[in-house]
Amino acid sequence: MKKIVACYKWVVDEADIRVEGKARSLNFDRIKYKISEYDRNAIEVGASFNEKQGCQFLAVTCGANVEASLKDVLSRGPESIAYVNDGALEETDSSVTSKVLAGIIKKIGEVDLVICGEGSSDGYSQQVGPRLAALLGYASVTFVNKLELTEDGIRAERKLEDGVEVVELTGPAVVTVLPDINKPRIPSLKQILAAKKKTSEKLELAAIGLDSLALKQKTLDVSGTVMERKNIQINSGGMTIEEAAQKLVQQLKADGSLA
Amino acid sequence: MSNLWIISNTVETAYEMLAKARELVSDSGGSVTAFLNGSEYQAQEAISYGADLVKLMRMPEKTAWEEYVPVLVQEAQGQKPDIILVGATRRGKDLAAQLAAHLDCPCVTECKTIQYDGSKAILKRMVYGGLAEKTIECNEFPLIATVTGRTFSKWEVKETARQGTVSTLALPNVVKMQVVERRPKPKETVNLKDAPFVVGVGRGFSEASDVKLAEELAQAMGGEVACSRPIAEDLHWLPEDRYIGISGQVIKPDVYLAAGISGQVQHVYGIRDAKTIVAVNKNENAPIFQVADYYIVGDLKEVLPALTKAAQEVKGS
Ligand SMILES: Cc1cc2nc3c(=O)[nH]c(=O)nc-3n(C[C@H](O)[C@H](O)[C@H](O)COP(=O)(O)OP(=O)(O)OC[C@H]3O[C@@H](n4cnc5c(N)ncnc54)[C@H](O)[C@@H]3O)c2cc1C
Ligand SMILES: Nc1ncnc2c1ncn2[C@@H]1O[C@H](COP(=O)(O)O)[C@@H](O)[C@H]1O
Repeated sequence: MKKIVACYKWVVDEADIRVEGKARSLNFDRIKYKISEYDRNAIEVGASFNEKQGCQFLAVTCGANVEASLKDVLSRGPESIAYVNDGALEETDSSVTSKVLAGIIKKIGEVDLVICGEGSSDGYSQQVGPRLAALLGYASVTFVNKLELTEDGIRAERKLEDGVEVVELTGPAVVTVLPDINKPRIPSLKQILAAKKKTSEKLELAAIGLDSLALKQKTLDVSGTVMERKNIQINSGGMTIEEAAQKLVQQLKADGSLA
Repeated sequence: MSNLWIISNTVETAYEMLAKARELVSDSGGSVTAFLNGSEYQAQEAISYGADLVKLMRMPEKTAWEEYVPVLVQEAQGQKPDIILVGATRRGKDLAAQLAAHLDCPCVTECKTIQYDGSKAILKRMVYGGLAEKTIECNEFPLIATVTGRTFSKWEVKETARQGTVSTLALPNVVKMQVVERRPKPKETVNLKDAPFVVGVGRGFSEASDVKLAEELAQAMGGEVACSRPIAEDLHWLPEDRYIGISGQVIKPDVYLAAGISGQVQHVYGIRDAKTIVAVNKNENAPIFQVADYYIVGDLKEVLPALTKAAQEVKGS
């Protein structure tokens, strides 16, 4: 029986971030967290191998504040979760994150397939998957939109800029998946209730052999990239759609925007 | 003295990165090595665009290009490059991240700018789907940075007098993957980058047949149709080279008209430099209105035909 792990990141919902003032600083006051968008696809891949082919399926995450995510993720299909929750991970980079995840996965042991999202919603570095493959000594198979398990490995279709590449391999692999690989489920009430009975294992950094975490890069500044736009509503005050359309086209013409 | 590398599976991006690499070594009189997926002829081109050494990393037939990683690790341990610029294609990003893990070094994905003074590097990249820009400092080398096409400009005139050496890298003896098939993508049919007027189709279109409303408007305006990522990737209503955003195309038309698009940051990233942004959405609180110059609150099924008609009248007059 194959053992599959999906890695997901618990991220701030970027739609709640507000850019403020001349300094374009970011305001996180009204922030909510979510499972990174494409990691829901990664989880769904594991869930479907679990349900259809009887694979063992676990979720893995790490961060400074990930405990709030456990119920949510467990309602999406994993049988259990292993995670590191440590304030030291408040600021991380791809190097540290992949070392922590590799540590957790080694601790779990004998994992055949690791599934990551194509990139995280916040940083979108698209690094953690292939870094993890290198650290674990697994094959790295990125940008996959079709995935099959074979007797002793996988067969995957990678979507690249110039076309599709179909690869086969034997042995363990880290796969990163594209959003079109599946449609992530919206957990049913039954799945949400079942999640409460599932097990979660909290690991300490020391237990996975990572006492000191040296960042490879330092953030000097993060500032919003607001655009100055006119924000003019064309159809205010009971105007018909026809009138609004004409007014807009006239406006674009007056601006010199129409060829 | 510094030693710079560039690695790319597309030659155009390689030439662009070479110009940047020469700029970064200029004070130290260091050398630039190009790892290139190309021909002997392109290797000579790379030399005239700034490389001192070219190592050809040809696309293997039976396995993935990224399988060169162990060879690059060995080369890097020998040559000790300070900075490695990698063309940010999908293959390039995979290779760069694996290489960084093996060398236990920092990697900055899709950097927009990079400065280097011999002891520290400052880079900028987008985060939060394009909502913000992050400035990063790295003091640890080697440093890997990936760079998308057209971020830097290649030398306008090749220096044909430049001399360099060319060799070919061999794949490692043991590879992990077998390529069983490659299906090239049909040739790109559209050049969104040069279209003056672009109509963006979003999930507000309730069925595929409604896309023609956008096509008719684009035609009346002398422009092209583009879309949001889900329209291309989930619904497959339009080809993937037509989607706009942080993971798709970045365009700068005179007018971008977003129809039935909510205006999430990842999409907006691709239209930031449009001269004028127009939005049509039936939700009066749609975030797209905050980044629009002009907007109409309404059902696109009514608004688009009305705009087509108005455009035809103006053009006809
Ligand atoms: C890492 C990452 C990268 C991404 N990269 C990209 C990218 O490059 N490009 C991209 O586009 N997206 C990208 N996305 C996805 C992005 O976050 C959004 O999900 C996507 O842009 C939403 O598409 P949409 O606006 O078409 O759909 P929706 O968000 O569903 O919006 C539909 C809109 O249509 C309106 N509407 C509905 N019916 C009508 C009607 N009859 N008339 C008028 N309006 C109507 C609704 O009010 C709504 O505002 C990325 C996401 C992530 C996490
Ligand atoms: N903190 C994290 N915990 C678990 N998985 C992560 C974490 N960060 C990144 N990942 C995984 O790595 C993928 C790529 O992330 P990134 O390299 O940050 O774009 C994500 O889609 C996740 O699958």
